[in-house]
Amino acid sequence: MSNRNSTRAPRIPKVLHRVAVVAAMVIAFFPVFWLLSTSFKPYEEWASSPPHWLPKKPTLQNYRIVFAPEAARRFAATQAGSLDYKVSGSAWAAFGTSAVVATAATLLSVVAGTLAAHSISRFRIGGDSFAFQFLSVRMFPPIAVVVPMVVLFSMLRLTDTHLGLILAYTAFTLPFSIWMIRSFIEEIPVDLEGVAQVHGMSQVEAFLKVTLPLIRGGVLATALFVFILNWSEFLFALTLTSGHVVTVTLQVANYVSASSGKLYGVQAAMGTISTIPVIVFGFLIQSHLVRGLTFGAVKE
Amino acid sequence: MERHDTVQLETQCRPLPRIARLPFSIVLVLPAQLIMLLVVVVPTLIVVWLSLTDWQPTDNIPWFKAEFSWFWNFYDLLPDERFVGAVLRTLFVVALCVSTELVLAVALALLFLDEWPWRKVAVSVIILPMMVVPVDAANAFFMLFNDHGPINQLLSLVLDRPVEYAWLADPHWALLPIIFAEVWQWTPLMFLLVLTAFLNVPRNQWRAALGLGATPAQAFFRVVLPLSLPVMLVAVLIRAIETFKIFDVIYILTRGGPGATTESISMYMYNGAFVYFRMGYVAAAALLVLFVVVSVCLALFKPLQKHYE
Repeated sequence: MSNRNSTRAPRIPKVLHRVAVVAAMVIAFFPVFWLLSTSFKPYEEWASSPPHWLPKKPTLQNYRIVFAPEAARRFAATQAGSLDYKVSGSAWAAFGTSAVVATAATLLSVVAGTLAAHSISRFRIGGDSFAFQFLSVRMFPPIAVVVPMVVLFSMLRLTDTHLGLILAYTAFTLPFSIWMIRSFIEEIPVDLEGVAQVHGMSQVEAFLKVTLPLIRGGVLATALFVFILNWSEFLFALTLTSGHVVTVTLQVANYVSASSGKLYGVQAAMGTISTIPVIVFGFLIQSHLVRGLTFGAVKE
Repeated sequence: MERHDTVQLETQCRPLPRIARLPFSIVLVLPAQLIMLLVVVVPTLIVVWLSLTDWQPTDNIPWFKAEFSWFWNFYDLLPDERFVGAVLRTLFVVALCVSTELVLAVALALLFLDEWPWRKVAVSVIILPMMVVPVDAANAFFMLFNDHGPINQLLSLVLDRPVEYAWLADPHWALLPIIFAEVWQWTPLMFLLVLTAFLNVPRNQWRAALGLGATPAQAFFRVVLPLSLPVMLVAVLIRAIETFKIFDVIYILTRGGPGATTESISMYMYNGAFVYFRMGYVAAAALLVLFVVVSVCLALFKPLQKHYE
């Protein structure tokens, strides 16, 4: 029983084990590989028959269409062209919009979430139902409130504005912020704050100077997690805007031409670039992913 | 402690703005609560109003002046084949995806119980799909299932005859690429959760079972699986709720077509509101879904709540 191997799993032959792992890795990676490979394919190879797994004549044309308005305009005049007017420019604007909206919404969500989480875990405000109220936001399909939100936003003149998207994103990530940060706060003994108060700190100081520094890493992980959600969001971006505010995900979906349908190569190039920040942040907080996606219920 | 501190706060600094006279605990939750009020509570109230009207934005009258049709929307909704179809289809997709994800995740997790070289790298590659932006993942699957795509190419190799099948245009099979994309993207999450659950089972208990003469399979099914059940339950619940909302993948792959054969509840409501502009009718559907989902979830979340205490 001293051998670690024999105490853990039902024993699987080593070769079979390695083959299964490699197969899983290949399946997990293949669609990503296809996206990457297509992003370097020239127009003729996007949907050639038979498909080329690697680009025969690799080109940066797709990336130029994404980033250089000149290239985009030139492409729009070719056989595949007749680009949607929304995306005939460069994608810089979309990256800017997504960066602004996702960052602002993340800050709002995490700050409001930290305050609320502190109140929930230290004062037990409103009992359990108060915290569950926020969780309920993640339960129903968001489209159910999109229709009235469109109505409300047009009354408040928030349609197609950055602020409108920021508010929507904040509300729909609050449950993650509150529940995730709450789980970090509850790992810190409440007595620490009590001691600080005995030593003359106010309640606010005790939280800001004692508890908050201790959960700094957790709050940062929560912020990155919420940022990923905001950056990848599609439904609100699609329904609460009408052409002025274009996020990254919307831009990807808009690379469609009237004559040749989806522009695979351009979509792949845009998709590759827009996924990179998410993958980087995702791996940075890999050890917190489980906690985040289960609202703090499961810890690694 | 709470009362004591409120008193302290009030005596320390005399002339207080009104907001500071609220208990500290309430001030803390105000920002979160206000955002919720604006973005969730008020829209929900509007949904209730809209569901009782026949309002369409093309009517050119503001929504609050629309004529009431009372409960006719609900009356029409229940025998509406397209709505009922979308509901049943969504439930089918949830059941199929979540169970497939769970089985795959348990099988995968079993491969990762021991330490072996490159284990960390393998985990990183396997969880890559859940990091990909869903819209991009959907686009990748659109290319894979294209009639000239690699899936058809592999099929032609296996079947030894040219296959140029248009998966997404076939009313019988268009749901398959959607399910593949969903399972591909979210099995990693299930895998991470199941693996965490397995590794959290104290090693002594494995040892004890094996020491008492259980085979590794028996030890797994009688000891490890029951002990990891709560976490697996949470995983299934969370995945079921998320899959129930399925929208991005369907929007990119088929927009609910061909016909309405791949419409989920979310896609149905999107098409109703933004293609056919039947706001009142969609609001009624939304209210129905809201009511059912929130009550089912509140009932189901009791186990999760216990998990916390």
